[in-house]
Amino acid sequence: MAGITFKNVVKTYDNGVTVVPDLNLEIKDKEFVVLVGPSGCGKSTTLRMIAGLESITSGELYIGDKLMNAVAPKNRNIAMVFQNYALYPHLTVYKNMTFALELAKVPKDEMNRRVQWAAEILGLEPYLDRKPKALSGGQRQRVALGRAMVREPEVFLLDEPLSNLDAKLRTEMRSQITKLHKKLGTTFVYVTHDQTEAMTMGDRICVMKDGVIQQFDTPQNLYDHPCNLFVAGFIGSPQMNFIDAQVKKADGGYALCFGDVEIVVNKPELAAYEGKTVVCGIRPEDFHAEQQFFGSGNVMNAYIDLDEMMGSESYLYLEYAGQKLIARVPARYAKKAEENIELAADVEKIHLFDKETELAI
Amino acid sequence: MDKKPSHARTVIAYIVLIILTFLCLFFFYILLINCTRSHAQIQHGFSALPGSSFAKNFNNVIHDAKLPVLSGIKNSLIVSTFCAILATYFSALTAYGLYAYNFKLKKPAFIFIMLILVMPTQVSAMGFINVITKMGMLNTLYPLILPSIAAPAVFYFMYSYMQSSLPLELVEAARVDGSNEFMTFNRVVLPIMKPALAVQAIFAFVQNWNNYFLPALILQDNSKRTLPILIAMLRSADFLKFDMGKVYMLITLAIVPIIIVYIALSKYIVAGVALGGVKE
Ligand SMILES: Nc1ncnc2c1ncn2[C@@H]1O[C@H](COP(=O)(O)OP(=O)(O)O)[C@@H](O)[C@H]1O
Ligand SMILES: [Mg+2]
Repeated sequence: MAGITFKNVVKTYDNGVTVVPDLNLEIKDKEFVVLVGPSGCGKSTTLRMIAGLESITSGELYIGDKLMNAVAPKNRNIAMVFQNYALYPHLTVYKNMTFALELAKVPKDEMNRRVQWAAEILGLEPYLDRKPKALSGGQRQRVALGRAMVREPEVFLLDEPLSNLDAKLRTEMRSQITKLHKKLGTTFVYVTHDQTEAMTMGDRICVMKDGVIQQFDTPQNLYDHPCNLFVAGFIGSPQMNFIDAQVKKADGGYALCFGDVEIVVNKPELAAYEGKTVVCGIRPEDFHAEQQFFGSGNVMNAYIDLDEMMGSESYLYLEYAGQKLIARVPARYAKKAEENIELAADVEKIHLFDKETELAI
Repeated sequence: MDKKPSHARTVIAYIVLIILTFLCLFFFYILLINCTRSHAQIQHGFSALPGSSFAKNFNNVIHDAKLPVLSGIKNSLIVSTFCAILATYFSALTAYGLYAYNFKLKKPAFIFIMLILVMPTQVSAMGFINVITKMGMLNTLYPLILPSIAAPAVFYFMYSYMQSSLPLELVEAARVDGSNEFMTFNRVVLPIMKPALAVQAIFAFVQNWNNYFLPALILQDNSKRTLPILIAMLRSADFLKFDMGKVYMLITLAIVPIIIVYIALSKYIVAGVALGGVKE
């Protein structure tokens, strides 16, 4: 009923800076879409355009099939959760939640029912009579969610709602919000700069950089098939390793050469790059210390700068052929810092990028 | 640094504070004492103890046919109360307009208001009297009340307070919640502004309560006059009928409402109502 469509949307602020140059985005009804990207890339601006809090310089924005460019925020039937919660400080939790309902002239018992329902889901029942300043950060966050829920809006907008919470609470609220989305069956647009939040919460993730959408896909596809260097580096933690490699013709395809390593991959697309340098992207967990991955040319003897033992696995910060790499290996295969370790890359999982255009090959 | 407050410093601080308090309160005390003494007693000199003429002075003041004290109090109350309400509400509204919205003439508007702020009343008084005479409002209370809608100093105070205590996110939250702009102002902005409104209401009330210059020019009927004019009239009265006890009583009557207003509103002058809703 209420998808969101951006058609060639441009946003230029009054100071003449164009933050969003040309946005085309289609968010489906009932979908949980995460807008993710580094700070200052225009995520909030995009979200605020949906809310109507920022004007649209040119282009069209639809909610459902209604053109929204000139519709005031109050008539858009959206609810928004702000990064700083933006609770009304002079009203109790109950009144904060009913503020919008009173304006919409919702009958009293219906209002009560909805607040009870939201308070129950969010565990806010004991706090309904308190003012926001008598609540903890996590409770305020839940009130902000509750205030949005009782509206029963067509679209839920959330702008970095968890960034002011501590790590443990963040994880907890992450799953609460995901559950909430399942329960409500409403369209959610969620802004964050944190790729973990994006990966764990989104049905689809829209990766942005400088106001331009880099890739819009499911978490799994983003992880497995990043379309360019930026997405490859942004999604995944620890970050993907980028290694400059020479392309040489070899039996059964092309060899990627760096240091003493010569990994043969069967990719006809590499024909155009023969003799040139490409960027080879290997995720930390795709380095293996187990013998069965070792192949001719596919073994590197790397020096361990630093090791971080995480329990079940270990992060090894390596130096090889003048490049810094990170490998994530099971604890029992790991070695200590200042030792050398033999590792092989999983040939199937190597990502290749053009060095100039930074696009995936 | 030694963290314990040194004993000598505390003692000195207290002594200084006590002296200051004494200086502030001493004259009120004299006033209260003298309004209970007769003219003769007052002329005799200073006394620390109250006299017994309170009722007599009170009666003299209230029942002076040439001095409509009760209607003076009423007029002063009307003017001061309306001025306090209008000045605070409309200044907050103006400040909100300049704080929360972006429009082309925002800067010039702000500068214009600041320019009015530095213009003394006396400069524009003659023109003002002219205008209100032509409008037929001479000798009424309206010209004392209505201009307080435009109070640049109050505006500036409200504007500064908004900058420190009114996050625009709250306004946006209200908009998303379906509130129109005017409702947002009345139901979200005003309650957050309460401490600022209370402070400015007190100031506006006191200022208008004490105002002598304009009322003296505008009000000619005895029955329209406000308290400060009546006090001035009493003090410049016929030397033979001059009664100091009466003067002190009238001044006391003039001060009491201010003290009441102050006490009533002072509980709102607690900063930090906006704390908590938005995490800094
Ligand atoms: N009101 C504004 N006027 C001018 N520039 C702004 C305004 N709001 C944001 N910007 C700029 O737009 C860019 C994107 O901001 P924003 O959408 O808040 O980024 P994000 O939420 O991704 O961190 C930033 O460079 C920021 O400085
Ligand atoms: Mg942001």
